This record gives sequence, C-alpha cells and structure tokens, in this order.
Amino acid sequence: MDLETALSKSAQLHLCDGILRGALLRRRAELRKSWRRFISSECLESLGSLAKGIESFLSGQDAFRDWQFAATVTWMNCDATFLDCVRTIALAGMVEYQPSDTPPPRLLPLDLSKLSSNERFEALYARYRCPLNMGVASESDVAEELLRQLMVQDRAKLEAGAEFGVDLILLKLNLIGIRALITRDLRFLDAVNYFYELPQRSLRRMHANPRFLSFWLCIYAQLLSTPDWQKCGLR
Amino acid sequence: MRVAVIAGSISGGIRIAKEIENLTGLDVFVVVCNVGKRSPLLRWSRELLLALKSFEWGTFTARVYSYSRKRKLIVLPRPLDDATSIERLRSLQCDIGLHAANVIYHDPTISAFRLGILNAHIGILPKYRGRCVAEWSVLQGDPTGVTVFFIDSGIDTGARIVLREFIPSNAWNSVRPLKNMLFGCDARLYRKALEVLMQPGVRFEGNDVSKGRRYYVMSKMFIRIVDEILRDRANLVR
Repeated sequence: MDLETALSKSAQLHLCDGILRGALLRRRAELRKSWRRFISSECLESLGSLAKGIESFLSGQDAFRDWQFAATVTWMNCDATFLDCVRTIALAGMVEYQPSDTPPPRLLPLDLSKLSSNERFEALYARYRCPLNMGVASESDVAEELLRQLMVQDRAKLEAGAEFGVDLILLKLNLIGIRALITRDLRFLDAVNYFYELPQRSLRRMHANPRFLSFWLCIYAQLLSTPDWQKCGLR
Repeated sequence: MRVAVIAGSISGGIRIAKEIENLTGLDVFVVVCNVGKRSPLLRWSRELLLALKSFEWGTFTARVYSYSRKRKLIVLPRPLDDATSIERLRSLQCDIGLHAANVIYHDPTISAFRLGILNAHIGILPKYRGRCVAEWSVLQGDPTGVTVFFIDSGIDTGARIVLREFIPSNAWNSVRPLKNMLFGCDARLYRKALEVLMQPGVRFEGNDVSKGRRYYVMSKMFIRIVDEILRDRANLVR
C-alpha cells in the first residue's frame, strides 16, 4: 500500500475502527472483573430480585441489543414505568412500545436549564417514561443539553468533590447512555467513559441509588459490546 | 489598526506581540490579565518562572522594558470581566483583541474592541467546536488544523471566520506534542489573520454551527486510542 492510500480517509477510518473496537472490548473485559468496585455487596443486596440479573449481565458474556430503529421513530409510548423500561433496556430485553405520530410539545434546552434540580429530574423522568425516546431525532437538542450539563457542570462538581444530586446525574447518565446505544454518537459513549473513569471517591455517593447505578453500568457494558461505531456514529 | 494581545502572562503576550509588531500600520498592546484570581505573590512568581522558560532572556527583558516604557504593557490587577478591567480595555480604543489567556469572554469584554476578539482555535470550524477537538478530529479520521475567528459569548460559535489552516498530524506520535504544536501556531496565524483583516473589502467565511458539533473533554480511554492512531500513522509516514 502506498503512503497516500494508507493516509486516505477510508484507510484512516479503518485504522481507527480497529483500534477503537479493541479498546472497547478490553474495557468490557475490565468491567466484567471490576464492576463490584462500583456496586458494593450492600448495593447489590438492596436490589432484591434484580440483583441476580444485574450480576449475571455484568459478569457474563458480551450482550447487546441493536436499538438503532428508535432513531427512525417519531415517538414511542410505553405502558411500563420508567424504571421498568430502563431495566429492560439495561438488560438488553425487549421494550414493549406503541409508535405514535404525535410527540409531546418540544422541550427547549433553555427551559430545562431554568428548572431546579428536582424539577429537572421530574421533567426528564416523565418525558422519557419510554427512555428510547431519548434517541429520536426530535430530542437531539435535549440530548445535547444533557451531554453539556454532564460534561461541564456535573463533571466539575464530581471532580471537585462538591455536593451533587445523585439521582439526577444518574438519570442523565442512563439517558445519554441510551442515546449512545441508539445514535452511535461517540461523544455520548465517551461521556459515559469519562464518568466511569472518575476516581472511586467521586463516585461513592452514587451508591445512594443502586438501581440507577446498576442500570447505567449495564448500559455501559452494552455500549462496549456494540460494534460499528465508526460506520454509524460519525457520518 | 490597534491590536491588544490579551494574555494570561507577560511572556505569553510578548511572544505573540513579537510576531506581529513589525506589521505595517499596526499598534500593538499587551494586556495581561489575572487568570484564576491568583494572589500577587503566586502571580508574579509564575510570571518569573514563565519568563525564565521563555525565549532569549535578553530579548525578552528588552521587549518588556520597551512595551512598559511606551505604556503598551498593561497588567490588569483584577479579573478581565471586572468593570474596571473592561473600562481599561475600552480606554485603549483597540480594533482587535487577540485571545491568549485561559479565560471565557463575556459580551462587555468582547464589545470593548471595535471589531472583536480573535481566537486561534485548534480545530477546524464549523465541524469541531469545544474541547479536545484535535483529538476528536484524529479519532474521526478528519484533518487537524487551526481556525482563526472572531469569538462571541458562545463556545466557538462566533459567526466570522477569518482563516482556516489545515495542519497535518501525521508526523506526531502522541496527543500532547500534537496539541503543543497546534497551540504554538497561534502567533503565526494571528499575524496571517491580521494581514487578511488589513486588506480592503475583507470577506469572512461563515461559521454555520448546524454543520458541526460541540465536543467535550475526552476520556483517558479515548486519548489512549488517539495516541495509538497517531503512533501507527507516524510509523507509516516514517
């Protein structure tokens, strides 16, 4: 291969794809061994009947479900609760939904950022009762705003050891993880990477919500097992 | 044309001033602001350290003396956004500011300059806004480079691009030296941008934010991936 071909865009993408895939699989193998650092035995116990499923998902072989179809849907309605839906997605199950042509009124990022922490949690929890809606095209502004909040203010708080709203940050991490599963946007995957890499002392407070914490890790495990990031996420 | 280099240190400001000061028709000021509200002791110790690390000591001190004597070296005692600092900037009646300090600019500071403040952003706009854009460009197989544009109060959203220069990353085998090289292009590209701006009838390229994305600080994992990509590419070039 001559140098020009080797440095062409397609060759570069091929090179990046191979290196990225290897790194994701190495991280998945690491997570398989180290997830107990994030979810303590007490946390696991508090999950009750859910504990076994979480344990076997995180310790087991790579599993993921292809959620890309959600990007092509206008809106989805679910009968199940938000928690049930996230659990199903986290464990790569089937989410039962009814497609809808009438999405709820647009949520403006500016309006979202004006809300208090509790109001923001409630607004996101209610709007994304079917969390797959986080990946639909009309929600890209909200997704960008959540990514910005996580990677600017929330990250700064965690790194500085300041107080933070555990439930809200974990909710956002779950939602942007789901967005990454659907859109294959590497920025959303990397936000999850970033929070996973934070020192344990920064993440310890997240034990306060073991459900959201374990769902987030399961979603992360799926992201790491997801193939074809380069092909789908970048163009 | 009156231009102020807005720097985080005297050595940083003088470095850029040195590159542009011999352009015909340019009057250059160096404005040093107190980034991070450092105490005077810390601030001046840092200045001394940076000066010692900078280019030739003799040339540097001569330039500092020359700028100070002409009252063109202004050390702001308060943060850049403070009303007194903005008033001081206004009093200089500069046409353009050159960003060389690690600060975020708000509208009152930007409007203290007739045309605005130029930023040498180490990514290609409009596609790559925000942080770690050199790394993200490599990861996504896109060209690396620097864009000089007039900032607004958003993150790399200023509408007027003066110039873009593609600078290959093939010769660099890790992120850190690549970024140092790109950051180090600022003085040369500011000079080039000022030359463009001094031409009559200058036309700007638009910065259509809908054609790009905002990027954020990169995880360690992705930085390692970018390092690996750069290493492989550098080996190919060799």
